[in-house]
Amino acid sequence: MTTDLRYQRGRLLRNTLILLFQTAMIIYVVLIFYPLFNMVISSLKSTREIFQDPFGLPKAPRLANFRVVWVDKGFGIYFMNSFIVTAVSMVFVVLFGSMASFGISRYAYKARTLVYMLFLSGIMLPLKAAIIPLFILIKNLGLMDRQLSVILIFLAMGLPSTVFILSAFMKGIPRDLEYAARIDGCNDWMVYRMVIMPITAPAIALVTIYNAVPIWNDFFFPLVFLQSNRLKTVPVGLSSFFGQHSTDWSLLFTGLSIAILPMLILYLFMSRYFIRGMTAGAIK
Amino acid sequence: MSIKKILLIGIGLLVAATVFAAGGKDQSGASTAETSAQMKQAVVNFWTWRPEDVEGYDKLIAIFESQNPGIKIVQTAHKNTEYNTILSAALSGGSGPDVFQSRAYGGLETFAQSGYMEPLETWVPELKDFSPASRRGASSIKDGKIYGVPFASQTLFVYFNQAMYTKLGLKVPQTWDQFLANLQAMKAAGIQPLANGGKDGWTLEVLLGAIAPNFYGANDFFDAVVKGQTNFKDPRFVESIRKLGELKPFMPDLFMGTSYTDMQSSFINEQAGHFIGGSFEAGYFSKQNPDLKFDFFPGPAAKAGAPNYVSTYADGNFSMNPTSANKEEVAKFLRFLAGKTTGDLFINEFKQVSSVPGVDTSRSPFIAKVLQVQQYNTPYVFLVGFRYQQPTGSVLAQAALQGMMAGKLSAEEVCQQIQEGIASYYEPFRK
Amino acid sequence: MMKTDVRKGLWISFFVLPGLLVVTLFILLPLFMSLFNSLFSWNQLLRGAFVGLENFRKIFSGYPYRERFLNALGNNAKWFLLTMLIQNTIGILFGYLLSRRLPGHGFFKRIFFIPVLFSIVAVGFLWGLYLKPTGLVNAALRLMGLGAYARAWLGQEEIATLSIIAVNIWRWVGFPSLVFLAAVDAVPADCLEAAYLDGVGEWTLFWRIVFPLIIPSVTVISVLTIIGSLNVFEQVYTMTGLDGSPNFSTDTIGTLFYRTAFGSVDSGNPEIGIGSAIGVIIYSLTFIASIVSIISTRSREVEL
Repeated sequence: MTTDLRYQRGRLLRNTLILLFQTAMIIYVVLIFYPLFNMVISSLKSTREIFQDPFGLPKAPRLANFRVVWVDKGFGIYFMNSFIVTAVSMVFVVLFGSMASFGISRYAYKARTLVYMLFLSGIMLPLKAAIIPLFILIKNLGLMDRQLSVILIFLAMGLPSTVFILSAFMKGIPRDLEYAARIDGCNDWMVYRMVIMPITAPAIALVTIYNAVPIWNDFFFPLVFLQSNRLKTVPVGLSSFFGQHSTDWSLLFTGLSIAILPMLILYLFMSRYFIRGMTAGAIK
Repeated sequence: MSIKKILLIGIGLLVAATVFAAGGKDQSGASTAETSAQMKQAVVNFWTWRPEDVEGYDKLIAIFESQNPGIKIVQTAHKNTEYNTILSAALSGGSGPDVFQSRAYGGLETFAQSGYMEPLETWVPELKDFSPASRRGASSIKDGKIYGVPFASQTLFVYFNQAMYTKLGLKVPQTWDQFLANLQAMKAAGIQPLANGGKDGWTLEVLLGAIAPNFYGANDFFDAVVKGQTNFKDPRFVESIRKLGELKPFMPDLFMGTSYTDMQSSFINEQAGHFIGGSFEAGYFSKQNPDLKFDFFPGPAAKAGAPNYVSTYADGNFSMNPTSANKEEVAKFLRFLAGKTTGDLFINEFKQVSSVPGVDTSRSPFIAKVLQVQQYNTPYVFLVGFRYQQPTGSVLAQAALQGMMAGKLSAEEVCQQIQEGIASYYEPFRK
Repeated sequence: MMKTDVRKGLWISFFVLPGLLVVTLFILLPLFMSLFNSLFSWNQLLRGAFVGLENFRKIFSGYPYRERFLNALGNNAKWFLLTMLIQNTIGILFGYLLSRRLPGHGFFKRIFFIPVLFSIVAVGFLWGLYLKPTGLVNAALRLMGLGAYARAWLGQEEIATLSIIAVNIWRWVGFPSLVFLAAVDAVPADCLEAAYLDGVGEWTLFWRIVFPLIIPSVTVISVLTIIGSLNVFEQVYTMTGLDGSPNFSTDTIGTLFYRTAFGSVDSGNPEIGIGSAIGVIIYSLTFIASIVSIISTRSREVEL
């Protein structure tokens, strides 16, 4: 942008300031990486070694812990569960969300604002605070201890922001495209499917990431609604794991590494999309 | 582009469809299993808050099922801290397990008074042989009925590391001064004298339960305070709280950050010489470090020759869901849980002091010794007497003791806060 | 004509209803029900008589609810103020610096966002271990010869909440940074260049030109901060526990709500009426914050 201009005009004071800020940013980078690095090396040490030499590298790295945590402690299953819950929730968030946005943004009718407001009313409200009625509802639907319970809740939580972002996007698509398709004999579904959705694709990518990360990380609803060990998601599994092995730090760090590292690796490959997705909702 | 998108959505829907189909199948599979089971077997769902004890209960269930071929027990263990949430939600949602572990005293009251527990006197005649103390933990204070089969009692005392005692030539203390001298000797020898810390408020309440009764006058005070003849500003009680403060110099560096699990690991790894806690720890200690040689003594007395009182309380009960479809079978299981087989398993497998009357302790010297120190027992004051309404005595005491240990409150202020809080609802204090 | 209207209506219903049904059933209905529950007295887990606003009156005037509630609300306020002051200030600073394309800005941008993706639970447990008296933080201080500053970070009343907030800032500061970066990047380049050519200093440039133009983002971030601060739960749950220990110094409305609605081992019986009322208060505060934000952003947009 205007960088070059600024560097030419750099004065001593400004250069010092820039150096200072740059140092601050480097410190934050270190503050991000060192705890993660220490977490990983701690997972390779024995508990005694963690206490006696918290900063040193493991003398005899022990990878056995990872197998124990992944297989015996069921983190493999927790990952599978988190994946299923997140994937299914997201498919329907995108499907229902884009359909509703289409119904709100591409038609003119009286109840339109009302429908839009109904969707938006849930956008920032903390559903946690309504956990008791929600529980009774899930119970009455016979969904206790079934993945469908949290999928439906995540779907409901994801829809408001999705409708908010997508309907704004769809409103900007020119009418002419739609008319042309209709003249060619497309019905409303085909217009949605063949005309609007392909154009909306970039916004859909944003919505997906914007919603998938909080769903993957959610702790509260799986905690309350999924009680069997075989259904637990990663955050809930991590929590009960911490309860059971609270004195074995070596194992605790292994559990944390297993919970955190895959996200980190995925991010390093897809950081561009993540950054765009997470900031999209807020800017709009 | 478009084909790719269709493919993606197709895959997504396929995943979704398989998940839902699997879910559906799962349910139909379960229900057919249930119907076929109803012909042959009654299924009884059983919940506990002890994931650590799943294997032990499996043994117990295997014995019961071999004796009762028509009944199948399905055990589910929930994490301790989330058990209340899950159970109350499940029961208020109109379902829940057929049999479940329930808390004693105030924790029982909630469920009993909401109609989520079946009175058990007629279902389980064995209950009349249980000790009055254990029945108290299973009874509602409102109607006096018994709503659970008590499973264990807990006792609070001081654990010590035997190897360290031998090495330093220390003797098991009988009085407070001897105890402090032992702590001082360890400190001088460069050993962390006491494992206890203050991050988890409930460990401070345990500290109070183990130490204070010998200063506040055990049962005399308890009976009087429950009747409202005295209150928590009684000088004896204030003095007992002040004594807890005398332990501060022997606690770990930055002990306000020392959590329960930190306490456990420093004692298990022989980094600390004493651990003030409950009889429920012993099983975990030996399991984590089989080489650890530890023993315990009851809370030190104020004066030489005075009896050493310990606080005791009922840990919990097994209760029946009144909406259970298989009450007969549940009752059979409860009677089994009230019997000798269960009692023996609790002692030998879990190292817990079973509430079942007349069990054999010969194979467990630890339990035998716990029963021996129980000759001078007093109810664990806030749990037994003051956990029925908000704010509970426990909540008040835990928070105020954290304040005192951090040097923010004096013993008088601690007692003042406890008294004011309880007096806000406790009728005998309001006269 | 009539026929096409019906057709149109059917199509609209087809598109809108599935989503609307889910939102109504799983957001609006529970919301309404918790409002309903808050107007009744509860005998343990059973709904009793209609008591109107009695539960709310108790929260604002009865012992011990008032004390607990105000204490928790105070902590939520602390969360809000410190997050605004520290996290969002750093966020603006980082966002602005990144937009000026300092050397390595692409690297910084990617790295800053990493902790944002981690679950609060994992972050809470990780730092919970590091902040123990025997943990990494104190060990590092001792290593640097600053042993005198070693603290029981999560066990001392004065600093426990601050420690948890610091961990949360560690996790989340990348988010405002990137939002502000995107906002500053969206400022028209010619505005800035014109200013440069006029010889305007950096400081003036930021306050006079950039800041007014990114006010919508500032509002959004402020509102998200208010909402986030009102909903603090997992952070406290994982680091100091449900009781807001020590001595309630880390208690927030979220943990208070959970304890009241479900009861806990030590705090005794659930009080669903009071709990629901606290839930309704959380809702109302969040709702008001969102409305205020929408209105103020709208009016700002018009001004610009």
